[in-house]
Amino acid sequence: MEVKILSAKFDIEDGHKLEIAKQHGAYATIDKLFSMKPEEVIEEVRNSGLRGRGGAGFPAGVKWGFLPKGTGKPVYLAVNSDESEPATFKDRYILVKDPHMMIEGIIICSYAIGSHDTYIYIRGEYTSQVKALQAAIDEAYEAGYLGDKVAGHDFKLEVTVHRGAGAYVCGEETGLLESIEGKKGQPRAKPPFPAVAGLYGCPTIINNVQSIASLPFILEKGAEAYKVYGTEKSSGTHLFGISGHVEKPGMYELPLGLPLLEVVEKVAGGVWKGRKLKGVIPGGSSTPVLTPEEAKTVTLDYESMAEHKTMFGSGGIVVLDETVDMVKLVENLIYFYHHESCGQCTPCREGLGWMLKIIKKVVRGEGEISDIDLLSELCDNIEMKTVCVLSAACTMPVRSYLTKFRHEFDAYVSEGASTAEANQE
Amino acid sequence: MAEMIKLFVNGNEVEVEAGKNLIDAIGAVGIEIPHLCYHPALGADGNCRMCLVGLEEGGPPLVPACKTPAAEGMKVLLDADHIKKIQHDVLEFQLINHPVDCPVCDQAGECSLQDYYMTYDGQKSRMTVPQVTKSKKMDFGCGVVHDQERCVLCGRCVRFCRQITRTGELGIVNRTDTARVAIFPGRPLDNRYAVNVVDLCPVGAMTSADFRFKQRVWFMKKERGVCHGCSRGCNITIDHNREKDQDDLIYRFRPLFNEQVNGYFICDEGRLSYRDENENRLTEARLSKTTISLDRAVTASLKEFKRAEGIVILISPDCSLEQMVSIKSLAEELGAPLSGFSDGYIKKGDGDDYLIQDDKAANRAGLTALNIDSSQSAFEEALAKAGLLINFNNDLSLFYDESSLKKLFKEKRVIGVTSRDTKLFQMANLVIPVASFTEYSGSIINCDNILQTFNRAITKNDAPLDMSEVAALLGGPLKTNGDRYDKLKKIVVSLNDFNPDTIPATGLKLT
Repeated sequence: MEVKILSAKFDIEDGHKLEIAKQHGAYATIDKLFSMKPEEVIEEVRNSGLRGRGGAGFPAGVKWGFLPKGTGKPVYLAVNSDESEPATFKDRYILVKDPHMMIEGIIICSYAIGSHDTYIYIRGEYTSQVKALQAAIDEAYEAGYLGDKVAGHDFKLEVTVHRGAGAYVCGEETGLLESIEGKKGQPRAKPPFPAVAGLYGCPTIINNVQSIASLPFILEKGAEAYKVYGTEKSSGTHLFGISGHVEKPGMYELPLGLPLLEVVEKVAGGVWKGRKLKGVIPGGSSTPVLTPEEAKTVTLDYESMAEHKTMFGSGGIVVLDETVDMVKLVENLIYFYHHESCGQCTPCREGLGWMLKIIKKVVRGEGEISDIDLLSELCDNIEMKTVCVLSAACTMPVRSYLTKFRHEFDAYVSEGASTAEANQE
Repeated sequence: MAEMIKLFVNGNEVEVEAGKNLIDAIGAVGIEIPHLCYHPALGADGNCRMCLVGLEEGGPPLVPACKTPAAEGMKVLLDADHIKKIQHDVLEFQLINHPVDCPVCDQAGECSLQDYYMTYDGQKSRMTVPQVTKSKKMDFGCGVVHDQERCVLCGRCVRFCRQITRTGELGIVNRTDTARVAIFPGRPLDNRYAVNVVDLCPVGAMTSADFRFKQRVWFMKKERGVCHGCSRGCNITIDHNREKDQDDLIYRFRPLFNEQVNGYFICDEGRLSYRDENENRLTEARLSKTTISLDRAVTASLKEFKRAEGIVILISPDCSLEQMVSIKSLAEELGAPLSGFSDGYIKKGDGDDYLIQDDKAANRAGLTALNIDSSQSAFEEALAKAGLLINFNNDLSLFYDESSLKKLFKEKRVIGVTSRDTKLFQMANLVIPVASFTEYSGSIINCDNILQTFNRAITKNDAPLDMSEVAALLGGPLKTNGDRYDKLKKIVVSLNDFNPDTIPATGLKLT
């Protein structure tokens, strides 16, 4: 089931080094790139159906098309490498194993959108990754792939790595821009969208690492070759991070559209220890959970996930076996999103803290049924009332657990804290 | 006149000004959209989420009104159940960690949270878990006291220090519900407009050390006034109260919006100048240190006039136009030279590029308009020749030190007509108390040649006379305000088309 497009060079020893990467085709598309017009590149990407791999799945080519023309302002490219969503561990492979694929993608994207300055916003905790990435960038500068004349062509491109300081919300694209500008990482109200007024008020395209890294293949082999993989609306391949209670957790590149359970079985070796499946988080912690029943019919693409009232997200699949205490899972979930709320908007700032205290009360065995109802109501009261979607990233999954596993919450109330101990055994 | 557009609020057509956001546009026709973080002087931030409104047809279903420009044909939903629910929900979030210590909070009575609770929430707390605790009564400097628990983190104070004073002392530190407004350690508020953050704060998080615990706001009466602290003439609200068995006292000045004069703010110095209205006031006439009645003081003055070999009259540049014209006429009647010498009022380099002016005189432009000579030489020459100086509230001590004053007044008789019992006037032979600027009606011209009128705000138990009236008692020919205004019009041409009651409240730019 696995395919090797993005991960083609992951297994090559020292594949992150320019010399080795070049032997395996890195930067092979550059001459072809500069023989094309920028519009042709955009068209090719649009035809490939490549969708943003940060989680939202917005078509990359269409996003680029939003850039206003003739503003007289510079256009910026920001590469979102703030991979912070719990259960997501795909971009870090690219950064470490094949950074030149991403740099090549940056060149392609920059040429297409007419940008000469790229900022790579990398998660602060990625200490070894940032070293690998910076080393690759230094190599690329030295070899002339970056700088005043990209690979000898009349195109200037500067790439700057900007390290985050440990805020999940800086992965939100406008929080990311604020952070690059040296401000507190708080998302901006939209409109205006970054394509119109982004970094330093200039038109800015923000793409995820994996989206950018997908570009060399599309340019080299063409949109049609990319569309061979995946479904009609969800084309190509994706790096899936499969974790949780499976026999073989890990990062796997798969075409989109495969049945979820089949992947869990055949790729990740099935639920571990012969246990039963309790649920699946399909694409990072912020995506609503799927029950085993729902998991039977869902496939790994944007449309099927939406039909199942969840989201494709970041491709971070978490398999939950029968021993999982959903109440404690929700406590952990709220703890995380509360901790990461930037504190800007009232509902998220105050509401998530309130939810955390309520769930803690329930976990302690001191909760009442009205507390569970209140949790559920607070999800509604907070969601979509804020500048960014961080609040929804918490309330959407929480609501799914409250609805699909309500009996577990009620048990905590009726049986008190002993439930917790019973579940542990 | 601004361009008008039509839009719909709850299905009703209203005509509003174009180019404004929904809060201001709709607010101008009397429809309130609740908001905490938006302030017209600071722009929209969009963090409080109180102003979320629905838009029917076109656009997203929910928008922050502070960031949404009013547009022709827009259909704004305010009274729909889901919008009311949002207002209620957001308010609930604002309140869950709020101490609700209204009984001991100075903001009570003028607090957005209180008002909005009454309008949009009105329900019992559902908070059954412990509240977030933060720091209280923090000294932020410049007389600003901060309570982090009352704070709703609207960031108005932070934006004020960044955008208006550009000093940036305040910031919001930490994330989530531990976010709080703070100063850098050892770097408190340090600007001359700092106390405006108290007015800007929609809740009781920022309080003024000067005003704290002095009065409940609902006991105070509010009058419009014009600050006399410098030649800017900032518009103010005078908050005062007459407590049982006490005099009418002022408890604070607050800025009053006037677009062409001071915008939304005033400086801290002007704000605290209310103290001078309460303290060190001259309340009774004195002749050679003996208290006398006003009648006797007037008689004594008239005797002095007769005895004097030459009189010179000095006038304060803080006087209203009406007072100036009265005194000018008195001077003409007495054949006495009139001087407006007041170089001491000018503090070179003290002003800034915002509101504060070098010239601490409220109505120097009035002296100029009435052709009153203000030169030092003319004043000193005239005084040298005269035997009697009548000083109408001019604070000469701003220019001369004590020994120079003694030299100046040597072998002179001095009559002081003043509101202040200061050292300078204690040197006078005869003093007559008069009203200070919050106690009379008048008009002044500011540094930008804007004529502003103001009315009496305070009535003291023993209300001293207006200086114009004293001038009349001393023989001045202008007995009524009508007389004074007629005379004014003759001298100041640009006032020809106006009467005191037709001058706009926001001031009249003189040409």
